[in-house]
Parts: sequence; structure tokens; C-alpha cells
Amino acid sequence: MTALRMVAASTLALIVAASIGAGAVCRRGYADQDREHPNEPPSREHPLGTDELGRDRFSRLVYGGRVSLLIAPAAAAISTALAAAIGAATAALGRRWHRTVSAAMDLFLAMPTILILLTARALLPLNTSPWLSIVITCGLLGCLGWAQSARVFRERAASLLASDFMLQARASGSNTFRTFVAHIVPNLRPAITAQFWIATPLFVLAEANLSLLGLGVSEPAPSWGNMLRELENYASVPERPWVLAPALALLIVVCCLHLLLPARSGTGSALRGGGAVCQPLH
Amino acid sequence: MPAASLIRRNESVGQPLLLSAAINLDYPGRFGVLRDVRLELARGEILGLVGESGSGKSSVALAILRLAGHKGARVSGLLRLDGRDLLTLAEKQMRTIRGKEIALVLQSPLAALNPALRIGAQFEEAWRAHRKMSKPEFEREVKLALQMVSLAGHQDVLRKYPGELSVGLAQRVLIALAILHRPRLLIADEPTSALDMITQSEILGLFARLRRELNMAILYISHDLLSVAALCDRVAIMKDGAIVECASTEAIFRSPRREYTQALVRAIPRPPVRVDDPYEPAQRGEPDAHREERPENGARALLKTHQRAQEPPPAGVP
Repeated sequence: MTALRMVAASTLALIVAASIGAGAVCRRGYADQDREHPNEPPSREHPLGTDELGRDRFSRLVYGGRVSLLIAPAAAAISTALAAAIGAATAALGRRWHRTVSAAMDLFLAMPTILILLTARALLPLNTSPWLSIVITCGLLGCLGWAQSARVFRERAASLLASDFMLQARASGSNTFRTFVAHIVPNLRPAITAQFWIATPLFVLAEANLSLLGLGVSEPAPSWGNMLRELENYASVPERPWVLAPALALLIVVCCLHLLLPARSGTGSALRGGGAVCQPLH
Repeated sequence: MPAASLIRRNESVGQPLLLSAAINLDYPGRFGVLRDVRLELARGEILGLVGESGSGKSSVALAILRLAGHKGARVSGLLRLDGRDLLTLAEKQMRTIRGKEIALVLQSPLAALNPALRIGAQFEEAWRAHRKMSKPEFEREVKLALQMVSLAGHQDVLRKYPGELSVGLAQRVLIALAILHRPRLLIADEPTSALDMITQSEILGLFARLRRELNMAILYISHDLLSVAALCDRVAIMKDGAIVECASTEAIFRSPRREYTQALVRAIPRPPVRVDDPYEPAQRGEPDAHREERPENGARALLKTHQRAQEPPPAGVP
């Protein structure tokens, strides 16, 4: 198992390094169009061929890794932070807030996420710049993903608030804020870490799903999701299987992240203790 | 007989009154959890509060610290510490009393210490609650507190997490935390019931010594008559949220007046060997009916423990 984790870690490290150093790895820019050679099969010049605009697919794959691997952890961080903050605050504020926030959570969980994303994107101007679209995608994913895990944090914080050591802390004269910062937060940390690492691969996929639908990262910025839009013409896929490269990249990254998950210190025990929850988006 | 007349100050202690309470406590949907629980504690006095689980002992501790509100309870009645009315005090002022004048030690030391914080950090939190942080002063006081709980050579506990400590060690740390600000009243809620017999007797000895050295009053809450007899000056017996009887330890074990107290005392197990019992000759091999006739057998053995515990320790013993 350790050997497998080593492989996963080095594979992931390699992919991350390649994405960061995309400028050095690729000979062409991700938006450079070679109008003379569209839809080319793999060649020495273009290892994964070109797309219909003559852009080098390999360059787009490597640069796309940047976007995918940046959005997922960022969105995971946003949603985990929101979930922890809202969950813990609800537990601390007591019964009346409990009901209000629970209703909000149920509402969030009951809402059709895709519909909200469609609406949100429809409200944005069409000429939204690609980089802004990345930020927006990230923000939307983060804001929609908090509800389920907030529940876990709320229960965890509530049980911590009722614990003996909190009683002891109150009895020692600490004020509410101090007891919260000093005693609750450190105890939520394993659950927060676990939640973050569980959410990251899910957000890699969520970003891909969104971009595939044209709701995520917009052209010409590449992401593994919007590169998969080439698969719309699925009849031609058997003839040119190399268009599946982004899907393969996604598969590898998500698998690696899942393999690494229990290896992280503290995460394993938090997972066993029910410290975190998976939040299937879409 | 009105409850007040059950309470007699222990003349042998002869110190001014520290705490006087007459507490009523209701939980939402459960009224009369505590009904006019009258307690008086002189400075430096150890009062045992005995009762079966569910009798409301722990609620008394919470009510005195005014922390019962966190569980939704309503407290009324009278609560005076050194003449100050605690029930009408603003929460902010009450906070300056918690930990500084009244401290709490809970039953399970490993649950009462935050598992995610090093012991040193927990001392720091307790310190910051009442004093400005000044490193040398803080370190000196922590060292002193550890010394007082016989952990002088254990400065390394400060770097450890609670999970790395044994239960006995953790209970000492918890007591050191509680006495950091030299409180005048220590409320110990079943502090020894999670400990093995040897550690238990060590902790009891520690309480007795702390009382002597710091002139600290202790409200010792327990269901364990053995430890109460060994430690306390007076004992209050609680049943169903009210005090049934309150008298000196001697009187409670020698001549319990109330039926419930008598039943409690009768239930004390007889020590298996009584060779050193001056009250009666050894009577091994006698029928068990004898035990029924002489309910105070176990109690007498306890009283001796009590008397031994009250004597000052021989010089040189910590």
C-alpha cells in the first residue's frame, strides 16, 4: 500500500510540476492557432495532435492542468472554510439559530445545483474574460458545496461545546471567544483537513463537469473540462482516441488524490471517526 | 425539620464563612432538580457532598459556578461568596470569579483536558483568563502549581498532549490547573472515581495537603463514602435534589439520624480483616446475621481512616 502511495504521490507531483512549468514543457502556447493544420493526428510536432482551431492539444492539456489543479483545491478550501465557519457558528449560537441555519442547509441541498449554475452564468456578461471565469467557477463551486459538510461540522462543534474540557475552560474563567478559538478550533482541525482532502478530487470532477457544459472556464483558457467538449462529436472518438487525453488526466489525478487521502497524518483517524463527508456535486 | 437546622458549622475549623448557598434549580421540563439545597462552607473547610448518581450533585457544582445556564437550567435562591451575591452578578464579573476564586476539578481528567492542546497551552489559557501574560511570572507560577501537586520533576508534561499522560498524572495536572490562581474554593466533582485505588488515595492526600497549605475550602462531591470519610470535615447527604442530612463526618458515620443516611452507612462494605480494630474483638467466622445487627461496622473502620487523615503528616513526608 505504501508503494502504491509513493507511486501516486510521485505521479501527482510530476503532473503538478509539469502544469506549473508549462511554459518550459510546451513548445507552443495554449492559444496559438495553426490554421494550416487543424484536426491533425499526433505527430512529432504535436504529440497529441491539434484541435479544430489548430491549437496544440498537448500544450492545452498541460496548461489546462494549471486551471484544473488550481480551481479544485481553491474551491475545496472555500467550501470547507465556509462549512466549518457556518457549522461551528451555528453550534455556538444555540437553538434558535440552529433551526434557521438548518433550514438554509436543507434548502441548499434541495436546490438543483446545475440550474443555479446556469442561472448564475447567464447573469454574467458573455464577454467575461477567461481568467474571471476561472475565479467565478471557483467561487460558485465553493459556495455551493458547503451545505452538507457544514452539518458535520455543526454536529462536531456541538459535541465539543458540550464536552467536559469546555466546561473546564468555562469554569477557569475564559471568555466565550477565547474558549472557541483555543479549544474548539484545534479540535475541528483534523475534520477540516480531512474534509479538504476529500473535497479536492470531487471538485476536480465538478470543474470538469461544469466546463464540459460550458458553464465553467471559458475559451480560450484551457481546462480539462472544456477540452472534453471535443467529445461532443463522440462518433469520431474511436478514430482519434487521443482526444480522450484530458479524461485520462482527470482519471489519473483523481485516483492519485484518493490514494493519497488516508496517508495524510490525522486525516485517517478523522475519516474513521466520521469527521468528514463526501459531497457529490452533480 | 427545616433544612437550615441540619446545617451546623464545624466548630473545629472555626474560620469565617466563605460560601453560603440555598439553591433551587430547574431544567426546562424538569422542575425541582435542586430544591433549596443549603450549603455553608467555612474557609479551609472540606465539605463532602454525597448522593447517588442523578441526585443533583453535579448540578450543585454548576449552579455555584453559575454555569448551569449552558444546559438551559434556571437557578434561583441565594448564593454568596464572601458576602458577595453571585446570582445577581453580571456575567463579566462572574467570569473574574470563575477559575480565580472558585475552581473546578472534574471526574475524568482525560475528558476535562483538551485533547488537541499541549498541557502547556492549557496552562497558558487558564493564565490568560485572569492575568496578563508575562513569561517569567507565568513560568514561575506554573512551576509552583506543579510543585504543589507533587509534579515538581515533571516539567516535561507541559510539552505533552493529554493523551500521553496516565490518568493519575492527568488528574494532578488538572488540579494544578485549578489551583493556578490559588482559588479560595475548589469544587471537586467526583475527582477520584475514574482512578484506581492507589492513585485515588494519593489524590485524596493531595487535596488534604492543598487545603492545609493554601487554606482552600473544598466542596468534595462524590458517591464514594470511603473517600469522603477519609477527607471531609463535614458531610452533606443528598437525595433527589435535596439535602437530607448534614453533619460532621464523625456524626454522619457514628450516629446517622435520617433513614436514608442510615441505609447509606449500612451499605458500606465491611473491611475483610479487622485485626487492628479497637472497637471490637476480631470475630471472623461468625454468622452473617451479626452484620445486620451492627450496621456501623464498616463505618467504624472508615472513621479510623478519617481520624488518621486528619492528623498532620509526619515531618518529611510531602
